[in-house]
Parts: sequence; C-alpha cells; structure tokens
Amino acid sequence: MKPQRFNSFKNFLLHVHDFSSLLVEIIKNLPTVRKNHKETLKEMYVIGTQALLLAMLGGLFSGVILAIESGHSVEQFGATMLISRTVSLGIIRELGPAVCGLLLASRTGAKNTSEIGAMQLSEQIDALKAYGINPVEKLVVPRVVAAVLMFMPLTLIADATGIIGGMFVTTSTFHVDLVYFWTTAIKVLKFKDLFVGTLKPIFFSFFIGALSCYFGLNTKGSTTNLGKNAISSVVISAVTVLILDFVFTKVIWEIM
Amino acid sequence: MIELKNVTLTIDNREILKNVSLSINKGTSTVILGPSGAGKSTILKAILGLIEINSGEVLINGANIFSLKNDELLRIRRKIAMVFQANALFDSLNVEDNVAYFLAYNSKLTSKQIKDRVDEVLSFVNLEGTQDLFPDQLSGGMKKRLAIARALATDPEIILFDEPTTGLDPINSKAVLDLINRLKAAGTTSVIVTHILNDAISIGDVLTVINDGQIVASGSVKEMLQSKNKFVKDFFYEIFQDITLIQTT
Repeated sequence: MKPQRFNSFKNFLLHVHDFSSLLVEIIKNLPTVRKNHKETLKEMYVIGTQALLLAMLGGLFSGVILAIESGHSVEQFGATMLISRTVSLGIIRELGPAVCGLLLASRTGAKNTSEIGAMQLSEQIDALKAYGINPVEKLVVPRVVAAVLMFMPLTLIADATGIIGGMFVTTSTFHVDLVYFWTTAIKVLKFKDLFVGTLKPIFFSFFIGALSCYFGLNTKGSTTNLGKNAISSVVISAVTVLILDFVFTKVIWEIM
Repeated sequence: MIELKNVTLTIDNREILKNVSLSINKGTSTVILGPSGAGKSTILKAILGLIEINSGEVLINGANIFSLKNDELLRIRRKIAMVFQANALFDSLNVEDNVAYFLAYNSKLTSKQIKDRVDEVLSFVNLEGTQDLFPDQLSGGMKKRLAIARALATDPEIILFDEPTTGLDPINSKAVLDLINRLKAAGTTSVIVTHILNDAISIGDVLTVINDGQIVASGSVKEMLQSKNKFVKDFFYEIFQDITLIQTT
C-alpha cells in the first residue's frame, strides 16, 4: 500500500473513531437538553420552522413528478386508477423522507457546520472549554435534539403536500375521480408504511445533526478549511441519508 | 499555584514545546515573552488542558489536569479565566449577555445579582452604558476590555492573557495594561503572553523568555536586563539601546 493511501485510510479511521466518540458523548449528554432548553427551542425554530417552505416545496414537486411519470407509464395500459396508489405509497415510504432528508441535510448541514466552524476559528469553542462549559452539551446536543424533533413533522408535512400535488396532477391530467383518489391513497397505506415513513426522518436527523456538528468542531486553521468542511458536511450527510434509506428499505422488506 | 513539569508537545512531527518547566506563584504577574511561533500561546492552552501534551505534567493547585476526570477538569477550569488573542466574544450576544454568559452558567446567582455583577465589571473596565451594544459595534480596544470584563465576571483565581495589546493603538494598549496592573494590585494571579517588550516590562513581576519551544531564561525585569544569555540579550536589544540612549543624553 502506498504511504499516501495508507495515510488517507488512517485519517478515515481516525474520523470514524472521533465521530463515534462524539455520538457516545451526545447520547451521554442528552439529559442536559433541559438545562439548555432555550438554545434547543431557538434551534428548533431555525432548523424546523424556517425550513417549512422548503419541505413543502420538496414534497409538492416530488408528488407532482411522481404522478406525471407513473401516470404516463400506466396510461398506455389503461391503468390510471393505480396512480393514487403509487403516489401515496411512493411518497409516504420513500420520496417524502428521502427528498426531505436530502433538502434538510443540505440546509441544516451547511448551517451547523458553518456556525460551529466559525466559532471554532474565532476561539469561541476554546472559550467555552476554558470557562468550564462542555461544547457538546451547549452546542451539539441542542442542535441534534432540535433536528430529531423537527424533521419528523416536516417530513409528514412534505408527505401531505406531495400527495396533494399528486392529486392535482392525477385528477386534472389523467381525469381520475377525486374521491376515488383519496379513498385509494388512504386505503393502500398499512401500518408498516406509516411506521417506516415516520421512523426514517428520526434516524436521518440524528445523523445529519451529529455529522454537521462534527465537521464544525473539526474546523481548524483558515476560512478555506471552513468552506471545505461545510461541503464535506453536506455531501456526507446527503450520502448518509441515501445509505440509511437503503438499509431501512431493505431491512423493513425483510422483516415486515 | 501553576506548575509545568517537563512538558513536551509535538504536532505533525514538529516539536512545539520542548521539556518546558515553569512555576507560577500565587498573586504574581508572570509574562511569557518571545518571538512569534515560539510556543507562548500553546503554554496557555496547555495550562487550561485545551491541548493534549505528549509528556510531562501541568499542575494547578497540586492537581495534574491531564489525569483529572472531565468533571474535575471543568471544576478547575472554572477557577481560571482566559482573555483570548482574538477576544472570542459571542457575536450573537450583546455586551451584557457576553459578560453574563459564564456567570449564569457556572453560578447559582439570581438574575438581579448577575446584572449587578455585570454592571460592576463593566464599570471596572470603563464600559458603562454599552450593555445593549453587540461586539461588532465596538472598537478593537473596547472588545479587548469587554473580553477582560467577561474574564473578571466569574471572579477567577487566575487570569491568562494571550497577547492582550496586539493590534491595539497606544492609548488602548495603555488602558489594557492599566487594567492588568489594577488586577495585579488586587492580588490576582496573571499569566500574560506577549511579544511586546515594553508591555512585558510594565506589567511583569517575573519574565520568562521562550524561544523555539524552550524556556531560555526566567527572572525579574532587572535579572533579564543583566542576563548574559545571547538570545535574551538579542531580544532585549531594543531596550538596551533605549537605556544607553537615556544614559548618554
């Protein structure tokens, strides 16, 4: 193995080790969220409430596109009655959580990494440590908890707007009856689908929150490194969402 | 009170601190003096345990901070305050909240007591009436004084200053040095890192000269001026010239 490759692999393992340590510390410090409830509420507003429009738009266009694509595919077989079923299952199980997860990974990832990274560069994190405050407790836990609490309702809202978007396309372009659309869209959903659709954002948000804070805390040197870390944070959070989505889908199909 | 014993630190195969031993007594004002990149600020971070050393011991009141559990380390750190080179003020908080931040977190004071303490320390650093301003609305000198006020708020036993006058104009530098001297008179233990000779001489009881990660000499101002060490003589060259100039005129 070439030394450079070995160093890259060694660095990767060190990152995995450090990130795992951060995860343990986050879990250990979860009870401190009550003490830092003001920061958590502020983060819930920024991470959740301010991202409402983004989640709605993501959901809406996912539903619209899914209805158009599936509609044209099944139309030639005269099976337009299946569109509502496809839209409902597709949005609740897959597109809603995945699209919402990717959009929020970009938004929250960039926000957390740039904020914490800037604090690291201006020695504010050192100041917290110097004055006896654990930065994980004060900065990381409120952000992770806020993400976990807000991603699920945002995903449910994105799901709802996605199905509404699909409904408009199905009823206006493919002339499916509105009542039939809703009856089928609701009837087709089983507990398993709702369980998967609501559980995914909880895991996505935990990892997005933790990864973005990890990259922020690991910012060293210059503002160029802050930019690099913000990019890494967004890319790795997005890839993590896709991998977790795959794992969830595979596991759920196997066990349920 | 603070003791460094044979502290060695290597980062990326570069020796930052080489077998550094240093003793700082209670109530004294110790200045760590040396050129840029000599390892001065690293010593302050080692005292706080902000960086992991490779070998040696850092003792605060007899306790080795690198063998303490996290809770014990946080308790020791609460007795120490640091004024950072770039001030490290929280830019999303106003002056009052910046000063109150650590006070509110680490003490059981009521809101009224915290406000009174904030007003008291702001008055000490001549920043009365600035409570509602944000750090980006303050001048460089005011930011430094705010950082000092924040450090004083928790009534620490030890204050560490990292390049307290760097980047300040002579008037603001003098104001900051006066503040440090007032703290010294009040019996606070101070450790000041600087590369500015005149500042070191005006505030230091003990001067410790460091170069390339090693302590070169340590002693009073008079002892430093009489030192035979070549590096110390070179470093103090500017001052020797001034003294010679005064003696010849």
